[in-house]
Amino acid sequence: MSAKEKEFSQLIKDNQGLIIKVSRLYTNSIEDEQDLFQEIVLQLWRSYDTFKGQSKISTWMYRVALNTAITLFRKKTKSPQTDELQDFHYKDFVEDDEEKQQQISTLYKVIKMLPNVERAIVTMYLDDLPYKDIAENLGITEVNARVKMNRLKKTLKELMEKHG
Amino acid sequence: MAEFDLDHLKKTWQEQEVQPKYDSPQIEAMLNKSSRNYVKYILWISIAEFLVILGLNFYYSFIGDDSESFMNILGKLGIENTVDLQADFAHLYFVLKFVSLVLTGVFVVLFYQNYKKINVESNLKKFILQIISFKKTVNIFILANILLLVFFTTVLTVFTFYILSQQHIQLSHPTLIGFIVGTVLMTILSIVLIWLYYRIVYGIIMKRLGKNLDELKKMESVE
Repeated sequence: MSAKEKEFSQLIKDNQGLIIKVSRLYTNSIEDEQDLFQEIVLQLWRSYDTFKGQSKISTWMYRVALNTAITLFRKKTKSPQTDELQDFHYKDFVEDDEEKQQQISTLYKVIKMLPNVERAIVTMYLDDLPYKDIAENLGITEVNARVKMNRLKKTLKELMEKHG
Repeated sequence: MAEFDLDHLKKTWQEQEVQPKYDSPQIEAMLNKSSRNYVKYILWISIAEFLVILGLNFYYSFIGDDSESFMNILGKLGIENTVDLQADFAHLYFVLKFVSLVLTGVFVVLFYQNYKKINVESNLKKFILQIISFKKTVNIFILANILLLVFFTTVLTVFTFYILSQQHIQLSHPTLIGFIVGTVLMTILSIVLIWLYYRIVYGIIMKRLGKNLDELKKMESVE
């Protein structure tokens, strides 16, 4: 095991939450989720040499993760799984506040109802990436990212009220 | 349920305990696994296509010789097989093979250049466009081969008519009608089969890329 591999695996270990969230939001089965996690790690590893800290680690990781999830990844499972299974799946993360836990669980469900790119905007927004970085990662302008996110907040509110 | 506010959920979202947690050995093991993605899929299929077409080109250029079968068809049309005719046909056939090989060579270079341009660190829009551009090279290669097929067929048909008129053979010969109908039908059938093959092999990935690109373009038109 080289020093570079060790350094990289530590980086992934420290930031795996980001990759797991993306994997979870772009798949409908546990098997696909694990496969996507692995594919994102591989793509990050392949571009690790060229990443020289020009951007923040989280921005770089989001860019590679979203490109992989939206464009590269080949799902194994064709049909989406049932809500019951997804509910069970989301019980992994436990918050003291039951209402908040319920809201996060529903939030996953409603974000997954959005088209791919909108899903990406919400994911990065929730993890506090600046609009500049969100826009840069998607190849749109910062103004467009802001306008879109404001509209998405309303859409998500409606969806949460309907499905919550 | 309390009034939903996305910003209020940010902190909870960021602090959620995501599972499963992967440890270092599991992550390190992932680095040696092989990738299973669409670009790789397109790459392997495209390489296989290039190899098949290259193989056919090389076969007909250096090993096989189908000039005899063409001469047989001409013979059935009543054309006399002369030394001049054989020489003319050999020249024509050499030019057609040369054009085909040059075309394939140019596309191999273009294909490789566009593949190298695909960079997962690009922004999403650029990344999708890079893959589409890579795929377009393959599409143009296929289109060029279809056009080449039509061109070859046309040239050989014109050549046949030229020889027929040179040897003063009546054009109302029933075999000639069969020859024309057969040629046209075979050309159409080949084009349909090639088109169907590409719809099946690349249809899903191109649809998905196009859908995401449309979504990004729509966002750009947001004021």
